[in-house]
Amino acid sequence: MSQLVWNGLFVGSFYALVALGYSMVYGVIKLLNFAHGDLYMLGAFSGFAMLGALGGLVRSQSLLALLLVLVATMLVTGLAGMALERVAYRPLRGAPRLSLLITAVGASFALEYGTRAAAGADPRVYQVRLGGTTLHVLGARVTVQQLVLVAIAVALMVALHRLVTSSRQGRAMRAIALDPVAARLMGIDVDAVIARTFFLGSALAGAAGVMAGGYYGKIDFLMGFIIGLKAFTAAVIGGIGNIPGTMLGGLLLGLLESFGTDLLGGEWRDVFAFGCLILFLTVRPTGLLGERVTERV
Amino acid sequence: MRTRRVILTFALVTTVSTACGQGLLGGGSKEEEKGPILVGMDIPLSGDSAEIGPYMRNGAQLAVDEINGKGGVLGRKLQLRVEDDACDPRTAVAAANKLVSAGVKVSVSGYCSGATLPTLPIFDRARIPMIIPVANSAELPAQKLRHVFLINGTGDQQAAAAFRWLAKEGAKKVAVMHDNTSYSKDIAVRTATELDRSGAPDKSVLEAVTPKESDYSAAVTSVLKGNPDYIYWTGYYAEGGLLIRQFKQAGYKGRFLVGDGSVATKLAEIAGGKNAEGVYATMTPTPETLQGAESWKAAYKQKFNADPGPYSTQAYDGVRLAAEAVRKAGSTDGGKIVTALETMEGFTLFSGPLKFTPQHTITGGFEIQVVKDGRFVLKEKI
Amino acid sequence: MRLTKDTGPPVKPVRGRGDSALTRLLESRWLGWLGLALALAAPLVIATPYALNVMTSAAIFVMLAVGLNIVVGYCGLLDLGYAAFFAVGAYTSGVLATRLDVPLLATLPAVLAVTVVAGVVIGAPTLRLRSDYLAIVTLGFGEIIRIVATNLTVTGGPSGIYGIPGLFGDATSGAAVFYYVTVLIVAVAVLLAARLGRSRIGRAWRFIREDEDAAEAMGVHTYRTKLAAYVAGAVWGGMAGVLFGAHLSAISPASFTFLQSALVVMAVVLGGMGSTPGVVIGAVVISVVPELLRDLADYRFFAFGVLLIVVMILRPQGLWPHRSRETPHTAARSKGTDHAPG
Repeated sequence: MSQLVWNGLFVGSFYALVALGYSMVYGVIKLLNFAHGDLYMLGAFSGFAMLGALGGLVRSQSLLALLLVLVATMLVTGLAGMALERVAYRPLRGAPRLSLLITAVGASFALEYGTRAAAGADPRVYQVRLGGTTLHVLGARVTVQQLVLVAIAVALMVALHRLVTSSRQGRAMRAIALDPVAARLMGIDVDAVIARTFFLGSALAGAAGVMAGGYYGKIDFLMGFIIGLKAFTAAVIGGIGNIPGTMLGGLLLGLLESFGTDLLGGEWRDVFAFGCLILFLTVRPTGLLGERVTERV
Repeated sequence: MRTRRVILTFALVTTVSTACGQGLLGGGSKEEEKGPILVGMDIPLSGDSAEIGPYMRNGAQLAVDEINGKGGVLGRKLQLRVEDDACDPRTAVAAANKLVSAGVKVSVSGYCSGATLPTLPIFDRARIPMIIPVANSAELPAQKLRHVFLINGTGDQQAAAAFRWLAKEGAKKVAVMHDNTSYSKDIAVRTATELDRSGAPDKSVLEAVTPKESDYSAAVTSVLKGNPDYIYWTGYYAEGGLLIRQFKQAGYKGRFLVGDGSVATKLAEIAGGKNAEGVYATMTPTPETLQGAESWKAAYKQKFNADPGPYSTQAYDGVRLAAEAVRKAGSTDGGKIVTALETMEGFTLFSGPLKFTPQHTITGGFEIQVVKDGRFVLKEKI
Repeated sequence: MRLTKDTGPPVKPVRGRGDSALTRLLESRWLGWLGLALALAAPLVIATPYALNVMTSAAIFVMLAVGLNIVVGYCGLLDLGYAAFFAVGAYTSGVLATRLDVPLLATLPAVLAVTVVAGVVIGAPTLRLRSDYLAIVTLGFGEIIRIVATNLTVTGGPSGIYGIPGLFGDATSGAAVFYYVTVLIVAVAVLLAARLGRSRIGRAWRFIREDEDAAEAMGVHTYRTKLAAYVAGAVWGGMAGVLFGAHLSAISPASFTFLQSALVVMAVVLGGMGSTPGVVIGAVVISVVPELLRDLADYRFFAFGVLLIVVMILRPQGLWPHRSRETPHTAARSKGTDHAPG
């Protein structure tokens, strides 16, 4: 039982980290960024490339190397996210919202198969493997590495939340989310703020990618697809556009999957998770912490 | 008025088209019997199984080059024509039709059973012999198509080999795991049925995971609840490696057996460290376990600057078999090639001497391999 | 500049210029006939098995896209699980035809009934949700249907159903015949969908898309009207599924993934939401371009992705956006309210 909860929370913290980027971007420009999962993949691969370049340091100081790479990768994927926004989304401001969906899927294809061309279709194995000292907490098997990763994830999420709620930057983001025209009239550089939003969201996805690479070890060019779908789900459960809600949504989805596997077996897991999601949304149509808004497609 | 314009346009298009000669009203082009003999290959190069395609393409290309190096077949060169089937039925059907339109004489196609099934009637109707190198679900031979041959061991043969090994090892409770693809599920369900039916090893659980994910802790926890002392994984190496690692991390002390889709050095790499040491596999003979096959591996490595991977050998064998059948038939006529394949005897594949059953499948040939220093080596014939 | 404004198809009054020859051509009634003539003439140009196969697939995809256009284009409901209806239709007819030996055409009433039920079952609890929540719920349903089809034995598990007979019972009746039958069926479906869009209920759908609250206030029963759109979309999808099964002779869950649903949405948006000729073109582009790019081998989907981005940047409203028919009189009247609050 406690093992199931821990498994769920651990997976859920990955979902949450990726879902945050989804949620922020959605909150600010109401775009479902389907390429977001691929930024996670890009993070894993750029981390892989950097670890390869570091070489010797990796062998002697593996955890330190991984942390260094984590930070560097966040920069790389953050910039990649900004570039993506510049190339594929900014030219379409003011177009019907669903047009952006097409460029998002297009960007997703381009990223996936671009990576395939660059790194090959075969899965790669991370140079650093976080093995683990095992602890027993309340009957659950927990490794120190898992705790470290969850701690990093939580720290990143808290930092992001602080940034959005109490910095000038964050206020600007929220202002744009509420009313972009008024925000512009108030002197906010809307383009710059949106670019920074993409930077932050993509950096978090990149961090999750490196963490997944270091912990699970296997990366491939389609690894972002499923987690992108899951993160989208998590963001919606939590109330899309709402940061604490998204974190809760990620954890909840992780738990649903963990218990679903236990109750019904692995092949019915997603049916269970999506079934719960649908039931939940019919009862509470705005997600866990989402607010009621009137809007149109 | 409008109608007349429509008719006019229609007539115009018709006239232009008939001139091209490829349309319904065209005469159809003359058979080209001089150039190279085209060998078609439908394999996944994009989508979920994209990592397998290049291995198969390389294996096939190696065979083509070897045969051409020896002067080709019937005085003509072979030429490989590869199309992507993306493991998706619609794409696979388009790819198969493309190969047929391109005029391939033999097809060495099929990796995912679900995507291969709808392509069988296409090749069969076009009277093009189809040698399926990998896909092996029971539905393929069940269609009883004259032009279709399978050269990979079938699911029931592999399940039988797995069961014999598990019984021999004295396993008590076996957890069988698959990835919910037809190939993997087929082997798993057959093994589980066998375990349920007979005495000695019992089945503890039949569990499925979703391929392409990273975290299988939920499935691991659920499987370990039944306290198995043997786990049989029938899916592919990527998930297999992750599962082995995550089972070890969760404190599992028992043994592992994996199916042929997991036999790759990547399995041990992904599992990490010494985790995969001593993992057993049900597998058809590979260059790794055959004596005198080092030269084959060296040739592959030299040509593609990479180690051969899963199903490189089957693709290689498929092309060699196709070439041999054409040589024996003395023509590229589909019917004659089929007869040549049906009566073929004494031709040696990696998995042993070839002899097709009346169902166009091959018999037996499974062995048990074990991971030693990160590589699969022969444990014993079974 | 509005960042998030959903302009939808713009309602632009025709300003100053009279109808150019091109506009007349594009708006003329025999445009559809021209398209049909092109489709019918295509096999006369090229009729290799490959070309016929690609064209048949494209025609079936057109039917899917036109069906989804009812839901997304007319009514403005984002459905990311449209493959579910496609699957329901394909599996219903496939199971009946292979397990009970019912001729494929005879399965149509059953398919109709099952898809209507599926549309109601999926639509009823979800249509009170708005936009993105609706999107994720439909996505969830799409995944549920696919996984159920993978897990059940009656649907053949992961390898699916094979040996589905052709439309007239004989699988060998020829690719060209099948192509022509498909084109005719799809043409009828396109025509029906277009007429539906201009009917009374079609106007109600567009009203809901433009402003749901206003529609409700004006006496449109929005819930029931949305459900009707959903059911109509389901029927079109289900019928396309029957054709799909007959075309491939085998179906498996791999054909009904989320990617498939996303591709149909892309066809609708790429062509121009709500515009029948646009959606038809969008569907043809989405299904044929990956085939044309086959020669790029490993770079196929990379090129496809880049192409999608470029096309959307050049034509943000879609290849052939919908234009409301307006007389100069009403156009002049609505000029003042062009920038209604959004």
